[in-house]
Amino acid sequence: MLDELTRPLRVSADLQHEVEQFLYLEAALLDERRLREWLDLLADDIEYTLDTNSLAQFRDRRRGWAPPTTYIFHEDKYQLERRVARVETGQAWAEEPASRTRHFVTNVRVLAQADDELVVGCNYLVHRASKAHDHHSFIGTRRDTLRRIAAPDGGETFTIARRRLELDEFTLMSANVSIIL
Amino acid sequence: MDDDQIRSLVDSRNGTVKPAIYSDAQLYELELERVFGRTWLFLAHESQIPKPGDFFNTFMGEDPVLVVRQKDGSVQVMMNQCRHRGMKLCHADSGNTKAFTCPYHGWAYQVDGALQSVPLEKEAYRGKLDKSKWGLIKAPRVESYKGLIFANWDESAPDLVTYLGDMAWYLDGFLDRREGGTEVVGGVHKWMIDCNWKFAAEQFCSDQYHAPYTHASAIQVLAPTPQNKPDGSPLGDGQTERPAWANGLGGVQFAGKGHGSAFFFTENADANVWVGGEVSAYFRETYPEAEARLGKVRALRLAGHNTMFPTLSWLNGTQTLRVWHPRGPGRIEVWVFCIADKAAPPEVKEALKKSHARAFGPAGFLEQDDSENWIEVQKVLRGHKARQTDFCMQMGLGFEERREDGIPGITNGTFAETAARGFYQRWVDLMTGKSWNEIEAAGAAWEQEVIDA
Repeated sequence: MLDELTRPLRVSADLQHEVEQFLYLEAALLDERRLREWLDLLADDIEYTLDTNSLAQFRDRRRGWAPPTTYIFHEDKYQLERRVARVETGQAWAEEPASRTRHFVTNVRVLAQADDELVVGCNYLVHRASKAHDHHSFIGTRRDTLRRIAAPDGGETFTIARRRLELDEFTLMSANVSIIL
Repeated sequence: MDDDQIRSLVDSRNGTVKPAIYSDAQLYELELERVFGRTWLFLAHESQIPKPGDFFNTFMGEDPVLVVRQKDGSVQVMMNQCRHRGMKLCHADSGNTKAFTCPYHGWAYQVDGALQSVPLEKEAYRGKLDKSKWGLIKAPRVESYKGLIFANWDESAPDLVTYLGDMAWYLDGFLDRREGGTEVVGGVHKWMIDCNWKFAAEQFCSDQYHAPYTHASAIQVLAPTPQNKPDGSPLGDGQTERPAWANGLGGVQFAGKGHGSAFFFTENADANVWVGGEVSAYFRETYPEAEARLGKVRALRLAGHNTMFPTLSWLNGTQTLRVWHPRGPGRIEVWVFCIADKAAPPEVKEALKKSHARAFGPAGFLEQDDSENWIEVQKVLRGHKARQTDFCMQMGLGFEERREDGIPGITNGTFAETAARGFYQRWVDLMTGKSWNEIEAAGAAWEQEVIDA
């Protein structure tokens, strides 16, 4: 469905603005380490995935064959909550002392709309600074399914119903992925 | 560095090592020749290259090699390097091909490594190039063990089963649970860790001691408690209340020929699998078949961690098999495979792929903590004083035994460094350039000595 989009979907400036502000809020919660509040943005049935990449010959790709991939993340809400709980133990050594992260979200496009859901594409760059001298970047693209829900204070807001991350690296240059991408 | 200097770095009798072995660039160059140039190195699983022309692109030490299925079903291992100017021939992770053609000048090789064609052969070489002399460099020794493909550059090395020795007993516990053997599920996790390869290999060989503390956070959040799961149920139906090491049932560490393994005794067929219910249920349901094939101890899958010298490690239960490719004295490239019984149903394989990633992928609940330790030790070893100061490797020294219950080899309690001492003994014997006969004799003498002590 997404690959068929060869020209921008016509969405209102208001909707574009609303989607961007939601994604920026989410990024801020992660970067400010308000991880429990971040969890509140996720739908109970969220599926959060990131696959590995593989290098395939053109002739194999043409035949529809590529080397198999595997998951880096394939998490449901329970597992994401456990990841947050792990950091909260104070003994998650990759995050102790906690790293600082900066989530950048760009190229935000509404790719599809149906009923109460939007499919939103973006590129992301996550910078992680940890220990005294370590800097790592994670760069990729993302497909989010945002679902409209009633906001607690009236009105409407979004919840994240699905997140499909892609990372550009073939071999991860970081020793571990201890942060939420 | 001469042999006496190398010998002075490791004292396996008294349990010390000089940390220069993890950081010295000269030693690293010697390792590529004397360790990685002489030992059996894991390359791929048979299931990854089922058909003729299938290849898997990997490394022996730092040397890139292609593992290729031949027309007659055999496997050949050849340098992924053109004989003309040394260009890397193939950059795909795996695939199927009729030939490997060099991107630089177009020399083309058959899948058996023979040089097939050279562009402008008549004009450029005037018909004088003897193509039969310029085939790809091949590993002279290639052997499989229960689905795992290994190669060795050294023609004088013992055969693979002799090289494994008692370690085969532990490897069988991982690969031979069910009729039909195993396969790789999904792709390969690959990532870089800034640490020496021996930190990773030694930990999986010998270091049960790190687990309770290093993995404290995962233990807390994955234990089956009401705080951790709303209904208080375990992640797997047979998950133990506490980690296996807390149950007080004891465990065993094994050392032999540089390899090592350690596990705990438990009573549940699916104990200590911090994963979803399907995987847990599968291990319980298939327990009778596994017990009939392997006996009780191994069927319980409790060889917790293992390293086959030098760089192949695995963990039963979460089914991770990994190779620590060296990338300089201070860096490794980790390649991780998820291994499943071939006879397991598809839904179990899928569940295993998820749980494997969740526990021991690069974002895994347990994996994250390990790399952090090795990196930080490596950073400290940039200091002059830090490199000269002995590391203590004396845990369980003098308490080695040979058991009479069928568990083979030199053993100790599971919290011991017997396997680490054996690992470094093998390392120093290889590094001082002993012949394989001398290496095997020195290893046997060390094993006898620790039993007699």
